Amino acid sequence: MQDQIGSGEGQRKCDVVADALNRLLFELGIKCAKEEGVRDYFYVSVIGYGINVAPALAGPLAGRELVPLSEIAASPARLETRSKKVPDGAGGLVDQEVKFPVWVDPVANGGTPMSGALNRAQSIVSTWLMDHPGCFPPVVLNLTDGESTDGDPSFPADSIRQLSSSDGPALLFNLHVSSDSSAAISFPDSEEALANQFARTLFNISSTLPDGMRTYTQQQGIPVSDGTRGFVFNADVTSIIQFLDIGTRASDLR
Amino acid sequence: MLANIASFSVPKRGSAQQECEDSTWVGPDGLGAGEFDINRLRIVVADGASESLLAGRWARRLTSTFGTGKSSTRAKPNFIATYNTAVDAWAKEMDEYEVEREERGSPIQWYEEPGLAKGAHSTVVVVEIFDGKQGIPPFWRAAAIGDSCVFQVRNEELVASFPIQEEEAFSFSPSLLSSRGGENDVIRRHIGLTGGAWDHEDSFYIVTDALAAWFLRIARNGGHPWEPLRDMNTVDFDLDFESWVNAQRDAGDMHDDDTTLVRVDLY
Repeated sequence: MQDQIGSGEGQRKCDVVADALNRLLFELGIKCAKEEGVRDYFYVSVIGYGINVAPALAGPLAGRELVPLSEIAASPARLETRSKKVPDGAGGLVDQEVKFPVWVDPVANGGTPMSGALNRAQSIVSTWLMDHPGCFPPVVLNLTDGESTDGDPSFPADSIRQLSSSDGPALLFNLHVSSDSSAAISFPDSEEALANQFARTLFNISSTLPDGMRTYTQQQGIPVSDGTRGFVFNADVTSIIQFLDIGTRASDLR
Repeated sequence: MLANIASFSVPKRGSAQQECEDSTWVGPDGLGAGEFDINRLRIVVADGASESLLAGRWARRLTSTFGTGKSSTRAKPNFIATYNTAVDAWAKEMDEYEVEREERGSPIQWYEEPGLAKGAHSTVVVVEIFDGKQGIPPFWRAAAIGDSCVFQVRNEELVASFPIQEEEAFSFSPSLLSSRGGENDVIRRHIGLTGGAWDHEDSFYIVTDALAAWFLRIARNGGHPWEPLRDMNTVDFDLDFESWVNAQRDAGDMHDDDTTLVRVDLY
């Protein structure tokens, strides 16, 4: 889910959210890439909310509500070329051009109907679970500035977290993009360090991390406890992709 | 020695057999199935990492290189030398692969580029079984990196389990051999070597991680996990390997993963 955040002065939060979402899809495609294709280990729904609540993929997938990952990978709206710093083999860094697919464009629209969007997500997840009762628990990721304009999001959030497959409860994670200068926070276990009420609300509606994800988070050097939640404040959210287990992780010997 | 060998492999659910990223090489010709009267036997099993691009291809490269190369179970430098041979061959294979994709009109896509740059990853376990000669009793040796396992069973008892002895030791992050190579000192630390004697009528089971974890759990609970495996593909067992593995998955007793078994009965 993506909030088409109304842009204000300074940094365009809508650009930050769209970029985070594109990077999520990019990482998910790479994670599931196999020889000459991407496996459909996941189906993806991208719902935008601004003037209305509606599917947000651009390009060939526009209007599609639930798309197998292989189609997502095969049909970005466009491929951009970006510059990436890579080791030069001599202890320094050098710019390298990489292809970066774009599926979602920033949209600056007024309104943040988060409750409506969460209700829509609940409906999609509920339908999915009827057809796939034994699946990996669905993950709903809400990317937003947190200022719900259509009521308290706690109730639809609860209704998502109450859904479950035989493998566990559905998970609701939140990314809060804020224009204030508070320090970035990843996967906190309390709301104390959060700068504003919107962030605290999003923290409180976020799922606690299941054991495997908590262990992975800890391995990344982030302190965890039983209360650690799937909430990120002004920080990189792509690590959530690494939470998703599709089998043996590939890493070099150390 | 007389060795009766059977090999089985089934992909994870929803995948076709050709998508299976486990690979086996069973001597003397790599195809290994049936009864052989030979004085040494080599079995190699590799399990390509799910998150790795071209993992099945790399697993096949490893099994063929370890299967046809010099013995790699005697000492770690021998193992590393064979691994480096596979890495060199892989670099050439990848150059040819990219050209072949271009020529076929199916160039490398954006989602493949990071995986190709990162390299492919796989476990490997190499088992060599030697007949006795000139006063030396029959013996076997094995070398491994990762969580593909060999079990030795004698008289209804598990007498050897290598390189893993406990179900809890399995994880999503086993040690893996990278197609990009690595520092010899680092690789050396991760190589496991073992060996021992064998008797006539011993059996060896060389398996990938999902089956290995199941095997060790049943054995720890006092069961005989070799019983269904011993009877697989014989008139004593009703199910084929795929049906049996799916039954374990359905019961929640076995992880849904590519699953391979090589069974060696010695006489």
